[in-house]
Amino acid sequence: MIATLDRVSYSYPAGMSPALRDVTLTLDEGRFAIVAGPSAGGKSTFLRLFNGLVPQFTGGRLSGRATVHGRDTARTPTRALALDAGMVFQDPEAQSIVEVVEDEIAFALEQRAVPRPDMRARIDGALRSLAIEHLRGRRLATLSGGERQRVAIAAVLAPGPRLLLLDEPTSQLDPEGAALITTAIARLHREQGLTTLVAEHRLDHLLPLADEAIRITGGAVASLPPRRFALEYEGAPAVVRLARRLALDPVPLTVAEARAGHAASLAHARVRPHPPPPTTGDELIRAEGLTLSYGSLPALRGVDLRLREGETLAILGPNGSGKSSLLRAIVGVARPQAGSLRFRGQPPPASTAERSAFAGLVPQEPALALYHPTVAAELATSCRSRPAAPATGEALARWGLTTLAERDPRDLSAGQQQRVAVAAMLAHEPPVWLLDEPTRGADPAIRAWLAERLRAHAAGGGGVILATHDRELAARIATRVLRLDGGRMEFDLPARDAFGSGGPLPTPAAQLVAGAILPEDVLP
Amino acid sequence: MSTVAWAGWVALVMAVALTTTNPSSLAILLSATVLVAIAAPKTERAGLGIRYLALLGIGLFALSIGVAVINTGSGDHTLFTLPRLDAPEQIGGLSVGGAVTAEALVGGAIRGAVIFAVLLGFAVFSGAVSPHAALRLAPAVLFHSGLAVTIGLALLPATLTDIQRLREMQALRGRRGGVRELHALVVPAVMGGLDRAMRFAEAMEARGYAAPPAIPAGTRLAGLAAAPLLVAATWVWFYYPEARWAGAAAAAAGAIAIVFWGWDIARRHKTTRLTVEHEPPALFVAGRVSLALAAGVVVAALAGWAPAGYNPFAGLAVPEFSAAGAAPAFAAAWPLPFLAFSETRPRAEASSSVPSLP
Repeated sequence: MIATLDRVSYSYPAGMSPALRDVTLTLDEGRFAIVAGPSAGGKSTFLRLFNGLVPQFTGGRLSGRATVHGRDTARTPTRALALDAGMVFQDPEAQSIVEVVEDEIAFALEQRAVPRPDMRARIDGALRSLAIEHLRGRRLATLSGGERQRVAIAAVLAPGPRLLLLDEPTSQLDPEGAALITTAIARLHREQGLTTLVAEHRLDHLLPLADEAIRITGGAVASLPPRRFALEYEGAPAVVRLARRLALDPVPLTVAEARAGHAASLAHARVRPHPPPPTTGDELIRAEGLTLSYGSLPALRGVDLRLREGETLAILGPNGSGKSSLLRAIVGVARPQAGSLRFRGQPPPASTAERSAFAGLVPQEPALALYHPTVAAELATSCRSRPAAPATGEALARWGLTTLAERDPRDLSAGQQQRVAVAAMLAHEPPVWLLDEPTRGADPAIRAWLAERLRAHAAGGGGVILATHDRELAARIATRVLRLDGGRMEFDLPARDAFGSGGPLPTPAAQLVAGAILPEDVLP
Repeated sequence: MSTVAWAGWVALVMAVALTTTNPSSLAILLSATVLVAIAAPKTERAGLGIRYLALLGIGLFALSIGVAVINTGSGDHTLFTLPRLDAPEQIGGLSVGGAVTAEALVGGAIRGAVIFAVLLGFAVFSGAVSPHAALRLAPAVLFHSGLAVTIGLALLPATLTDIQRLREMQALRGRRGGVRELHALVVPAVMGGLDRAMRFAEAMEARGYAAPPAIPAGTRLAGLAAAPLLVAATWVWFYYPEARWAGAAAAAAGAIAIVFWGWDIARRHKTTRLTVEHEPPALFVAGRVSLALAAGVVVAALAGWAPAGYNPFAGLAVPEFSAAGAAPAFAAAWPLPFLAFSETRPRAEASSSVPSLP
C-alpha cells in the first residue's frame, strides 16, 4: 500500500464543524481513484492530507494519522513530501511561476540541485509522458488552458512522485481541454502505473478509468467500487443515469459499453413525447455582423444573433472562440468595431450601467465582486442602483436568500456564495439574462438550482443567453444553440436538432436511444 | 535586457530618487524613467501594470501637494490663505490650513516627484523581468524574502487585472463608479489578491519550491547573535568614546557572525540551473556599472557628500544645477540604446482574456 489514513479527523482553524470526520482508508500502489462529492464537501481537504498541506499549510486541528510511504504527513515537511506526492491544482495559472515550459518543469529540479544532464533527461521524460514535447520552448502565457494544465502535471511529475494528486484539474477547461487532460492522466496511469487520486465533478471520462471511487459528503468518506458508486451518485454521468432508468445490469460507464452490452434494451427503450417548443414572444435582442478585435487579436467576426421572449440560447465553443466577447459586446463592456445591435428594435444605451438594466450579465467568477459584510447589503447595493428594481427584501425572497440575509458572503459555502453572486448581478430582474460559464466548477446541486432559475425566467417571458462548456446544462434548458469557433458562427440551430442523434453535438442519451436528448427523456 | 541589467537600472533609479532633492536632477531622472518605460518591451499585462502604477504615482503626487496645502505654516511667499483650524494644545496643538506658501508647494512637488519616480521604476522593472528570474537573483540566505518579492511581482499584474474586472462588474450592477465607491474595488481586489497569494504559495510549497537546507545550530546562533552585536557596537561607539575599541570589536564580531551565517547557508543551499541567461558583454558591464553607481549614490548620501541638495524653505532660490548631482540621474537613461537595438517581446498574450476597457 502507498498511503493510509487511520481515523483522521480535521477541522480548519476557524471551522465550526470538522472538514473530515474519522476517515479510515488505505490506498494500494498503482490504483486509480476518483474523489467525488458536493462543492465544499471536503474533497480538496482530503487530497491535501496526502502531501501535508493539511495541516502544515492550513493550520487547524488534526487527529488520527495519515501516512504516505510510511511517512507521517503531518510531521514530514510538505516540501519533502513533494517527492512522494505531487499535486496539481484547479487553476493552471495559479501554480506556474516561470515563463517558458521547459524552465517551469525544471524549476523544482533546480531547487533540488539535480545535475544538468539528469535534469534534461527528467524533463524529456515528463514532456514525453504528457505528449507535450512540441511545447518545450513555448511561453506559458501563449498556451491554452488544457496545455497549461498538462505542463503543470509535467512539472509535478519531473521529480518522480509515486502518488499523483489532482484537484479538479479540468474544472477550468473546455471539453476539448478536459479531454486532453483525461487522456494524459489515463496514459500516465497505464504506462507508468502511477497511483492517482483525482477529485472532479466531471466524471464522464474519469469514471471508466477508476479502480475505486471515494465519495466525500460533509466530511464523511466512503470508498466504493466504481459501478456501485455510479448507481448511487446523483452527479453520475448521463450514460449511467440512462442505464439506471432502464435498469441495465451491469451498469455501463461509457456509451461504447452501453452499446456493446445492452443493444437490445436500448433499441426497445421508449421515449416520452416531446413537449411542444415554448411559445416565443417579441424580439428582445438582435445583433447583426458583430465584429470585434482586441488590438490585432480578432474576437468576433461578423456574428449574428437573435433572442426572443421565452427563448434560452446556449452559446457553445472552445476557449477563445468569442463566447465571452459576444456577451461583453452586448452589454457594452467591449465595443465592436462593426455590426449593429438592437434592444427591442431600438439602439441600445451607450453606457454599460444603462445597458445592463435591460440585459444583465453574470460574468465569470461573479463572487469576486462581493464586498459587503452581509448578503442583504449586497443585494441592496444592486437594487439601489436601478429605479425599477424590487425592494431588497423581495429580491432576497425571489432568490431564496432570505435565511442567509445577515450572513457574511465570505462565510458561505461555495454553492451559496455562487447563488448570492448571481443574485447580486441579476437582482434588478432585467428582461434578458446573460451568463458566462455559470456552472464552472459547480456541483450537481448548484447546476440544478441554476437550471430551474433560468427555465423559470424564460417561461415568464424573459430571455436567456448562456455561454457555457456545460453541454448537459445546455441540452437541459436551451431552446436554441449557437456555436462559435475562432470568432465565427458555426451554426445556429434549435436545441433538439443540435443535440439530437443526427445533430452536430449529440448527447450521450441521443447516441444511445433514438429521439432522446437527456436520460430523463427515456421512460423507465 | 538581462535580469541583472534591469536590477541595476531599477536600483539606480531608486537610489537617485531617494537621495536627491534637487528639482533639476529629479526632472532629469523622471524624464529618463518615462523614456525607458516607453521603450521597454512589455506584455499587455505589464503595460496595464505600468499604466496603473503611473496613475497611482500621479495620484500620490497630487496628494503630496494637497498635504502641503493643508499642512502649511512655513515659508515667506504666501500665495493665498485658507481658513485655519487649530487643535487644542491638549491634543497636540496641530494646525490645519492658514497661509499656503510657494515653499510648501515646491516641497510637496519634490516629495511627489520622488514617489512617482520610485513607482514608475518599480512598474517598469516588474513588467520587464519575470518573477522567476527575480527569484534567481536572490541570494540563498534571502531566499524567503526573495520568494515574497517574487509572489508580489507575480501577483501585481493579476491584481491590476482584477481591478479592471471589478470596475466592469460594478458597472454591470448599475454603479457609476467614482471615489465614493472606491471600496467596492479595493476590498474585493485586496481579498482576491490575498487569496491568490495563498494559492500561489500553497502550489509552490506542494511542488517542493524553496526547500530550505538543514541549518546547524551553530549557524543559527551566529545569525541570531549578529544583530545584538551590531546594535551593541553602535551604542558603545557613540555613547562611550573611551571604549570605542570594544565597540569596534563587537562590530567586527557581528560582521563575522553575519558573513558566516550567510556563507554557510549559501554553501548548503545547493541549486542547479538548466539554462543560464545570455548577457552580451556590453550589457553585462552596463548592468554592473549601474549597480555600482547606485551603491555609490547611496554611500555619498549617507556620508553627506550629496551635491546640490535643495531646500525650498531656504529662500525659494532658483535650484542650483550641479553636473555631479545630475550625472547619476542622466545615467538612468542608459537602457535606451540597448532597448532601441534589441528585439522586442510579443506585446499580446493569448491568456490575457480580459481586454482593456474601451
